[in-house]
Amino acid sequence: MSQVTTVHTGSTRTFVWVCMGPVIAFLLIVAVAPVTLAIIDSFRELSLTSLTKRGQFVGLENYRDLIGADGNFYDAVGHTAIFVLAVVPVELALGLLIALWIDRAFPGRRLVLTILMIPTMIAPVVVGMIWRFFLLPSFGILTVYMNRFGFFEEESVFSGPVTAFVALMVIDVWEWTPFVMLIMLAGLAALPRAPIEAATIDGASRWQIFRHIQLPMLTPLIVVAVMLRAIDASKLFDTVYVLTGGGPGNATEVISTFAYRTNFVRWDLGYGAAVCLVLAFASLVAAAVFFKTVSGKAARVGNA
Amino acid sequence: MGRRGLLGFALPLAVLLSAALLPYVWIVLASFKTRTDLISPTPKWIFEPTGINYADILDKGFDGYLLNSIVIGFSSTALTVLVGTLAAYGFSRFRIPAGNHLFFYILATRLGPPVAYALPMYLIFNELGLINTHAGVILAHATFNLVLVVWMMRSFFDDVPREIEEAAYLDGCGHFRVLWRITLPMTLPGLVAVAIFVLIFSWNELLFALILTGGETRPLTVVIPSLVLHTGTQWGQVAAASVVQSIPVLVFIFFIQKQLVQGLTFGAVKG
Repeated sequence: MSQVTTVHTGSTRTFVWVCMGPVIAFLLIVAVAPVTLAIIDSFRELSLTSLTKRGQFVGLENYRDLIGADGNFYDAVGHTAIFVLAVVPVELALGLLIALWIDRAFPGRRLVLTILMIPTMIAPVVVGMIWRFFLLPSFGILTVYMNRFGFFEEESVFSGPVTAFVALMVIDVWEWTPFVMLIMLAGLAALPRAPIEAATIDGASRWQIFRHIQLPMLTPLIVVAVMLRAIDASKLFDTVYVLTGGGPGNATEVISTFAYRTNFVRWDLGYGAAVCLVLAFASLVAAAVFFKTVSGKAARVGNA
Repeated sequence: MGRRGLLGFALPLAVLLSAALLPYVWIVLASFKTRTDLISPTPKWIFEPTGINYADILDKGFDGYLLNSIVIGFSSTALTVLVGTLAAYGFSRFRIPAGNHLFFYILATRLGPPVAYALPMYLIFNELGLINTHAGVILAHATFNLVLVVWMMRSFFDDVPREIEEAAYLDGCGHFRVLWRITLPMTLPGLVAVAIFVLIFSWNELLFALILTGGETRPLTVVIPSLVLHTGTQWGQVAAASVVQSIPVLVFIFFIQKQLVQGLTFGAVKG
């Protein structure tokens, strides 16, 4: 590094500014300025109608209301937590199982893997629409078949609080299991073959090989997969917006839909700014943990 | 593989492929169905196809919404790739003061729930008169995809041997020439893959588009949910719009198969 920089000290300074200047300017405009504005607004009473004259200063009232007294906020946090805790382990187990099973050479392998990735890659809005259409009352194909076994004849899937929530989970598993599978496949491909071959010759069972050789070596990647999925699942918005809108009641309200509703449906902007900042702070903590884990060389299995 | 082995593999594989593909196939079929076939009490797998749904959404101005998706997607991709690649090269080759903090900040913009940044962005874009324009949502998408470009391009630049650049410096090339003529061409396949990722993410994004665009500036992702009405949704049109939105994505993922893992994990996992 220093060799290159010492050769052209004169022009290097200019060049570094050319590299870093745009990104710094960009972040100032679209990240620093908005967040500063939001911090100021979170201390105000602000709604769309008073947007032009800025709101009245109310100190910490927005934060006090939010953290101290808003049952809906805690409901949304609780739903999000339950959602993450339910879908991530299922996606991990299924993804790992499929990866272990499909990790072999066969004709058309790349095409198969690409097809399996379709649920992850198409727009979540489209995923939501597909499943809404699938589960339509009375003529949705899945409803029709479930009706034949006596399910959901009286009440549609999305009108029951529990069934609506479970449906969102099932859809998330459908959408994201391929993603976990792909990560696990990358990990399996990078594992050294020798120990596995040796164990096979020594008569180890498939389970023993997995439990004592593959699993320990995959652990760093499992950590990465779980973290990426947990972070992503906690941001869930699109499918809820399309499928339930947070309902029935607030049964499927998650953090993102709660913040969206506060700001852009109720237009309670000062309060909404407080919601945003609390979330942003929580995510900074998550980012710090992710950064530490991923930049550690343990996660770089794929490089080996 | 023996006959039994083949069957033991092919059968579960078929089940797996159906699970991934059938829901999508069903909506593709629906886009070619008449209203009667759509609401038939017994699901119809075989039917007389019609193009009426596509004609209907064209009448509703979907060519314009498609164009919005294209303009927003390509503009934000160009912006992200330009700003992100320069920054990645800076991070890769030079010791940047407070570089780790900057790097971390870029990451944080992507890991947080987008909705947390939506209101701040809405407020400032409102001041700047960028609400209901393409520019606002282009900037928003660029912000969120920046981290992907910076992370992936940095790892591609790190893979280019310094010796090659040093040889060019000794020949009297300046920094710009070295980057433009030597290093960038060597990372071009990676750059193209990154650009496709950014394009797909922008193309598929809902929340910011929902908040920052309106009326005639809305892209497909915002318009599709608006087709669902309390009074009789035209599901044929929803299906057709969903197909139009998703076909380009399917085409693109064939081109980035090799980089799929790396792109989806922000470079944390290499395929």
